[in-house]
Amino acid sequence: MTGRIQHLLSHVLDKRHTALRRDVAWTLAEHFCRNKVSPETRAAEGLRTMLSAEKPVFLPEETIAFTRTIKQIPDLYTKTEMEILRKSAYYHEKGCVFNIAPDYASTIKIGLDVRRAELQARLVQANAENDSTAQEFLSCALISVDAVLDLADRYRLEAERLELRHIGKILAHVPHHGARTFHEALQFLRILHYTLWCEGEYHNGLGRFDQYLYPYFAADLAAGRLTEESALELIEEFFLSCNRDSDLYIGVQQGDNGQSLMLGGVDKSGKDAFNALSRLCLKASCELRVIDPKINLRVSSATPLSILEEGTELTRQGLGFPQYANDDVVIPALVKLGYSLEDARDYVVAACWEFIIPGCGMDIPNIGAVSFPSVIDRTLHTSNAKTFDDFMCDVRAELMKEADHITASLTTVKILPGPFVSILCDGRIEAGRDFCEGNHYNNFGIHGTGLSTAADSLAAIRQMVFDEKLISLADLASVVDSDFKSRPELLAKARFGVPKMGNSDPAVDDLGKALLHAFADTWKGRKNNRGGIYRCGTGSAMYYIWHANELHATPDGRLTGEPFAANYAPSLNARVNGPISVIQSFTKPDLGRVINGGPLTIEIHDSAFRSSDGITKVAQLVKYFIDSGGHQLQLNAINRDKLKDAQAHPETHRNLIVRVWGWSGYFVELDKPYQDQIIQRVEMTV
Amino acid sequence: MNKQQLKSTGIIFEVREFCLHDGPGMRTTVFFKGCPMRCAWCHNPEGLSANIQLLVNQSICQHCGACREVCQNPQQCVVCGTCVTVCPQGCRRLCGRSISAEDLAAELRKNEPFFKKYDGGITFSGGEPLAQIDFLEALAGLLHPIHLTLETSGYASSDVYQRAVQSVDFVFQDLKHPDPVQHRRYTGVELEPVLANLNWLKASGRPFTVRIPIIPGVNDTPETLDRFAELLEGRSGLTRVELLPYHQTAGAKYALLGLKYEPPFDPARPLAINLVPFEERGIPCRIN
Repeated sequence: MTGRIQHLLSHVLDKRHTALRRDVAWTLAEHFCRNKVSPETRAAEGLRTMLSAEKPVFLPEETIAFTRTIKQIPDLYTKTEMEILRKSAYYHEKGCVFNIAPDYASTIKIGLDVRRAELQARLVQANAENDSTAQEFLSCALISVDAVLDLADRYRLEAERLELRHIGKILAHVPHHGARTFHEALQFLRILHYTLWCEGEYHNGLGRFDQYLYPYFAADLAAGRLTEESALELIEEFFLSCNRDSDLYIGVQQGDNGQSLMLGGVDKSGKDAFNALSRLCLKASCELRVIDPKINLRVSSATPLSILEEGTELTRQGLGFPQYANDDVVIPALVKLGYSLEDARDYVVAACWEFIIPGCGMDIPNIGAVSFPSVIDRTLHTSNAKTFDDFMCDVRAELMKEADHITASLTTVKILPGPFVSILCDGRIEAGRDFCEGNHYNNFGIHGTGLSTAADSLAAIRQMVFDEKLISLADLASVVDSDFKSRPELLAKARFGVPKMGNSDPAVDDLGKALLHAFADTWKGRKNNRGGIYRCGTGSAMYYIWHANELHATPDGRLTGEPFAANYAPSLNARVNGPISVIQSFTKPDLGRVINGGPLTIEIHDSAFRSSDGITKVAQLVKYFIDSGGHQLQLNAINRDKLKDAQAHPETHRNLIVRVWGWSGYFVELDKPYQDQIIQRVEMTV
Repeated sequence: MNKQQLKSTGIIFEVREFCLHDGPGMRTTVFFKGCPMRCAWCHNPEGLSANIQLLVNQSICQHCGACREVCQNPQQCVVCGTCVTVCPQGCRRLCGRSISAEDLAAELRKNEPFFKKYDGGITFSGGEPLAQIDFLEALAGLLHPIHLTLETSGYASSDVYQRAVQSVDFVFQDLKHPDPVQHRRYTGVELEPVLANLNWLKASGRPFTVRIPIIPGVNDTPETLDRFAELLEGRSGLTRVELLPYHQTAGAKYALLGLKYEPPFDPARPLAINLVPFEERGIPCRIN
């Protein structure tokens, strides 16, 4: 790391740039409400107002500019308006476009002036056709583009005034014109990414950074404008820029900001595309050890071990990066769902791990979640099954009911417009329609929470009720209601006398597999109201806490108040043999059927990474997962004593990073239940 | 039970997957229960006794009384395991299980393709595997051609030692102290058999690595390290020497056995590790 990057890094870690920020009490929503302004115009005017109020600032020594100075982005709707809107339709989360990856590359290539001209030309056509929807969208997109150009021009003037010649020169070219160099492309990307957050979009992914920026990188290297070292420095500076404003991008928890970046994988023609830039990105993340961007790495059974070793070097840093995705499983599974082969080969992840296609997917991959343990609980309380097979039939019926119920609540899904994000997405200008109206793919994703707890519960029910006849179904239902207080002796049995998923024991693994396949079956063939389908997955998002809080004890001996495992992992009170068995258990299901995403998560003690030998072995473990048909893997290098110490003395562990559910954050900034769950996970460290 | 069955049944206390420091590739390690040595720094005290034992984790006990209620022998534990099955916190477990070489081999062979594909194998550790030589030999015979590694203190008769070494592909040979008096003092046994076996191993040309736990104030003086290096001089299949610095966590498991860890040295004393004596003699050496 160069001295300059060192300075920028400490600047960001010390949060010195936050001194440049101010609060603004916006009243735009009230104004829009009084004047009955349309949603499209609100989005454009909101962005224009926000960007006009922004002031150009430069951090010492930086060469990639654009830093937020206003903490709040303006609300576009009053509270009452939003309530009324939500009565008329289902708006997911904040209601706007989020959790997608736009196509930055096309705009970086041609520049905003050309985009502007395209919008104007299309507007002429819309005027001629009297297409009022297109007229409004295109006019609004023009307002947005002009607002961005205006701020960029003010940045340029300020850079020139301060004699920051380097930045001034770059801003004299981008974003008006297409980038010519790697540095210009990074500055352009920074501007576009920054603007999305100002427009109100959130969980804005960075997509296949190593692919779309490679041509600039390679050309600079070939022309001698860059060396690998100077390129690394630029990548590091760009990565740091993703950490400047990220505390303003709060999700469910601080750090949950969806700034995912995808590396590696095959290109659209199916050729391996891991390149020198991919390698430098891994290195940059390794050196910086900050929470953004969140590194994902696409691999396959053909990936050489050396690349997995480079990935493992990053895992060793303890950031919870990289998260691996397996092309061998993901691509054919997306094709099966109706994605074109070319698009499927271009997949990235949304905020956490949901597989989406940049630029052309307007999927909502986190629209709902099924709690497997709740489904088992409801079946337990209603079933009159005489055999375990009958009980499983009832479980399937309950899963179907749950799918019916969720589908029924999602018949009016709508998204609020975003004219600027629209111009970064495939074909929206030609169509003359905002991205919120949909794009090539408009699928909904359904998470599946607590699979291991549910599979273990099924194993407990089968053994205690049907095989050993220790208790009836109805009595077991009241036992879990009583938190096992009515039959305490069953608690030890349920916890430690019944097989648990994660030990490569077919007795229970087959139940997990059956449950997951049944989940996929219940959503197959369902259409959503936006012309898409439903995809189900193995992710949990924050539901591993939420769903667990909603449910009392479970038949596997999990007591009230105890969380589920995050995503796809053995239950927290299961004793497991080790990571090999965990991989064997969790690759038994056909994971292509649950390809909304959600990683198997394995914690490994940080001492495993001390020697190069350890690095190779962990890399082999990744390879084993990939070779076994795993879809997505999250490895964490973790040290329980350190986490406990951080809980007790947060002030001395300010920069300790942990993986939470699909993102990494600073441990001391998490709420206690999330901290506790991570510490519990580590109890089963290998 | 006939003699054949007796021979091929052993007591092990753990089969651990993905052991990183027990040989090449991804390995599963089988821990044999029982050890003739009593090293003052032992961090696997549950491997010392050759008998099945009850381990109790007092730190998570909620004193619900379930174990007391079912206990049939409150005066003297007979390790029946009844209390283990009723403890809702999982505080109790039986350490050690008796298993036939055939059953254990079948369990381990399930991962044979995996060991092959990822250049791994199986490691025998303990405790002291040589203390169950018949079982070890039978098991190894059933596991070939999986790559087998042995971790041993080398404290055994030469016949036992040679049988064990000849049944595996690679050996990790421990050395504790080069001085007979200090060896007896800190391990409870004589040094002589260990040295005799080491000399045979060197002469055999078989590949092996030497591991030396470095204990503060016990064997970390330059003179001691020099004598270790002297012992390892000469032509042999020695691939390298690994020095294992003493860990403060060594005593973590004594409480599970109701024992107190009271090492006769100062565990907090900083270690003085000097690789020079090995380097001078051209012996590859590293600190693990």
